[in-house]
Amino acid sequence: MTSAATNLRSVPLARRFLNFTWLTLGLAAAILVFEAFAQPSIVVTTLVTGGMWALMAAGLAMVFGVMNIPNFAHGELFLLGSFTAFTVYSPIREALLNDPSLTWLKILGPFPGMVVALVVGAIAGVLLEAVLFRPLRRRSREQWVMNTFLLTAGVSVVVINSYRLTIGNDFHGVPAYWDVPPISLFGVPISVDRAMVLVIALVTITLFALFLQRTGLGRAIRAVSQDETGAQMAGIDLNRIFILTMGISCALAALAGASLLFLFPAYPDVGLQPLYTAWFVVILAGLGNIPGAVIGAFIVALLQNLTIFYIQVGWVDVLPTVFIILILLFKPSGLFGSAVKGVWEQ
Amino acid sequence: MAILELSGITKRFGGLTAVNDVTFNVEEGEIFGLIGPNGAGKTTLLSCLAGDLRPNAGTVRFDGRDTTGLAADRMCRLGLGRTFQIPRPFPHLSVLENVLVAATFGDPDLHGEAIARRATEMLEYVTFPRSPATLASHLNAAQLKRLDLARALASHPKLLLLDELAAGLTPGELADMAALLRRIRDNGVTILMVEHVMRLILELCDRLSVLQYGELIAHGDAATVAADERVREAYLGQNYIL
Repeated sequence: MTSAATNLRSVPLARRFLNFTWLTLGLAAAILVFEAFAQPSIVVTTLVTGGMWALMAAGLAMVFGVMNIPNFAHGELFLLGSFTAFTVYSPIREALLNDPSLTWLKILGPFPGMVVALVVGAIAGVLLEAVLFRPLRRRSREQWVMNTFLLTAGVSVVVINSYRLTIGNDFHGVPAYWDVPPISLFGVPISVDRAMVLVIALVTITLFALFLQRTGLGRAIRAVSQDETGAQMAGIDLNRIFILTMGISCALAALAGASLLFLFPAYPDVGLQPLYTAWFVVILAGLGNIPGAVIGAFIVALLQNLTIFYIQVGWVDVLPTVFIILILLFKPSGLFGSAVKGVWEQ
Repeated sequence: MAILELSGITKRFGGLTAVNDVTFNVEEGEIFGLIGPNGAGKTTLLSCLAGDLRPNAGTVRFDGRDTTGLAADRMCRLGLGRTFQIPRPFPHLSVLENVLVAATFGDPDLHGEAIARRATEMLEYVTFPRSPATLASHLNAAQLKRLDLARALASHPKLLLLDELAAGLTPGELADMAALLRRIRDNGVTILMVEHVMRLILELCDRLSVLQYGELIAHGDAATVAADERVREAYLGQNYIL
């Protein structure tokens, strides 16, 4: 009955969907459907890597949207997650090698590492906010985006080099979390590890979306991203929301690192590729747009997997980036625009 | 009993003194008007009370305690509601969600089911004319003002600061708004309103203060203030007929 609804109805369907965003989404969907018949493995790997990029990118988008921090240390949370999972999983793996008959441990063994990584990531996020961003915010909000960019880039350098000095340059990984024969998904053989990664990503993203949409705190996070002063006037303690936002974002990145340990072993620079990819996604989708980041993650994953399959793996960052630049030429604010009030509008 | 006591509030921005040594009390249960020409410092003064700005000098006592310099979210939870000159809803939240946020975080005494009930009640209370599921970015100016008011009321305020709530309303909407504000006051909420629409001020306010260049130039009941020579010159214009 609302006039907005009638407005929508009065716009011809063709006009509403014949825009750049819908064309891009349609094209991506068409490619996925085509590949589902031509090369199903591309679809499967797109879903798996897309799910993980979504975990990385959603957190990155949220921190930018709510706190206006372009977090260039996001990859180091990925590193933290993978190293934590490695540390927790190693003794479990040893126990399994000594006694392969422990079936329950075989099934559940990888999960403690992921859970601990999630918690450690959250703690790291809370510390980042409490030790770095809050004091900076209290001192000055001038040039906030630039200052926090430099700050997080500095944190990244410090973490990578401290890791190199204390833990070293070795690869700490596992060949597989679940050492069992691959299962078949849409007729494509897929390792249980990858299937689990997809499940973990989908479950986590769903829970995250429900949290943002349905709970009071989720609503508060969205409110703060839209109007900080207004949110404060409604009784929201900004410091609490910032701590929570940073904690969740970092926990998601650490979970991504932990679940992908079999693909990305822990080593000093492991966070860089996930970081860059997450930034591609966030820029493509529109800075600060969380649902957009989830969709964008799958589009970027599709581009990467098409590049790997049809060209070669060396081009995996080149071609998607070129595509993103082309898209930004037509839609400078990203595919889905920015659903948040960025720092420039405040 | 005074619910709000200002003494010597001064706010400077660099070399400009926006509010200079302002002292007055707002009594519990009254509708108090704050008027003055554009740029007189009315909104700045409200921001100093609401915790949005920190005054350079002076003290604010709210509900019997010194609240000078407390942050805006603390003030809201202590029972101070505020609406803005230009409404500031959360544009990508629905109408109901906008009010829910205030009910959840603005009133520490509210839990569980009661939050949603309060939000719905407040929308009914301000007779919000559209579906609660409407996105706030789809509302028109008058609807936004009502939403702002519902949001401020959802935190169960003892004192409501209204910044030009009537600006831009049609005469019909103005009459509705006056009735609504009177009803809010009768339900026990004290109101401090900044307003340009003199009709509304004279109709509603028990007492008035007039601000000019950041200083109080007159104070008292509506008839006294309106008759004051300085007020007529400064604000209403010499030929203004009440």
